[in-house]
Amino acid sequence: MLELTCLVMTLLTLAGYGTVLYRLRRRGVRWPVTRVAAMLAGLLCVAAALLPPIASHDELFPVHIAQHLLLGMAAPAFLALSAPVTLMLRTLPRRSRRMLLRLLHSAPIAALTAPATAVVLDLGGLYALYLTGLYNAAEHNDLIHAAVHVHMFLAGCLLSWAVIGIDPIRRRPGTCVKLTALVIVAAGHDTLAKLIYAWNLPAGGGPIASRHIGAELMYYGGTVIEMAVAVIVMAQWYLVSGRALARTRRRSESVESQLPVALPSRRCG
Amino acid sequence: MASSPLAGAVRGAAVKQTKRSIWSGVLAGVGLVAFIDETVFHQLLHWHHFYDKSTLAVGLVSDGLFHAGGFIAMVAGLFLLADAHRRGGFVPKRWWGALLIGAGGFQLYDGIVQHKLLGLHQIRYHVAIWSYDLTWNITAFIMILAGFLLMKGDAGIARSSILRSDAHPAA
Repeated sequence: MLELTCLVMTLLTLAGYGTVLYRLRRRGVRWPVTRVAAMLAGLLCVAAALLPPIASHDELFPVHIAQHLLLGMAAPAFLALSAPVTLMLRTLPRRSRRMLLRLLHSAPIAALTAPATAVVLDLGGLYALYLTGLYNAAEHNDLIHAAVHVHMFLAGCLLSWAVIGIDPIRRRPGTCVKLTALVIVAAGHDTLAKLIYAWNLPAGGGPIASRHIGAELMYYGGTVIEMAVAVIVMAQWYLVSGRALARTRRRSESVESQLPVALPSRRCG
Repeated sequence: MASSPLAGAVRGAAVKQTKRSIWSGVLAGVGLVAFIDETVFHQLLHWHHFYDKSTLAVGLVSDGLFHAGGFIAMVAGLFLLADAHRRGGFVPKRWWGALLIGAGGFQLYDGIVQHKLLGLHQIRYHVAIWSYDLTWNITAFIMILAGFLLMKGDAGIARSSILRSDAHPAA
């Protein structure tokens, strides 16, 4: 039943996204194909995590970890790069757009999208899940199970939006803040994976060998995704600072050409 | 002549450019050692263990921080290197010197604090460990020393690179 709901929701999102793109195209607005690809990849990760065969075997700890990597880390990163809020702002009618903008610029949203909030919610949720009895409880109760997944996904989204998001928010953190947040989350994630291995966690996680495989998958899989996110943070910085550099150079060049006496030696090189 | 304030400004800009190379080098050095540690000693030789039973939680936190910090430092360092090149202000001598200092410093931290003080894991198991520890830390010390020797003197500061980068925006 839960899986059917997930499938329907994913398909509805896909259909809604397609409709919006179609309307945008008819109005002659161009929408980058990379963002479409990012959206598709993100939805694919969500679907892979929540549908069989992964979802039907997630009582096995390594499968659960694969689910965590897909739903809590990979999918949010792709979705943040697809700029869905920007797309909404482009297509909503004027009144709802103004309301959405007011919401986005409000103080609660600013507090919620701050990197510190995202780091606390993300790591807090993970530590609570594996170090307390929450994992075991989620194994035996569908509602808690679903809530854990929702929290994992939303906390991952907050973090991805804060670190690599391109949607408009009131104050975008600087690159140093982003990298610091990423180091803290990555370190917390790696440490947790080793704690799971060292203390044979989580309770209710099945045979010890299987928990160890899960912990190592969490450690190395997490590293791969975090490294990709770090590359994206730095690539975004490189592109933005490159544009600023090109502007400065154009300006200095135009000033130079306005000088009454040109500097010939500089021109020939 | 009015050239002296201009020379000062050019020199100031050159020092700023040089700093970019140094930061890039230090970060890449830290990342390089973290990378070698992970691939060579953990994955290829299987000398280090993923976890050894004597490790305390504080050791795991320190290890996690330096594992994550290491690979993120490598990524940031390489992008800063590309940026220094783009601005025409890459100073190879300073970069290599900083790389050696970053790498040596990180290895010394790993060798003394992580392996010995925190007892995180040893370099190798079932062998006389002191000779490995000695080699590990002396290598680190030599790297730091070589780094400082490379960094010494004025010769490594971005010389004409500032003027060059203004004159050839495309370069």
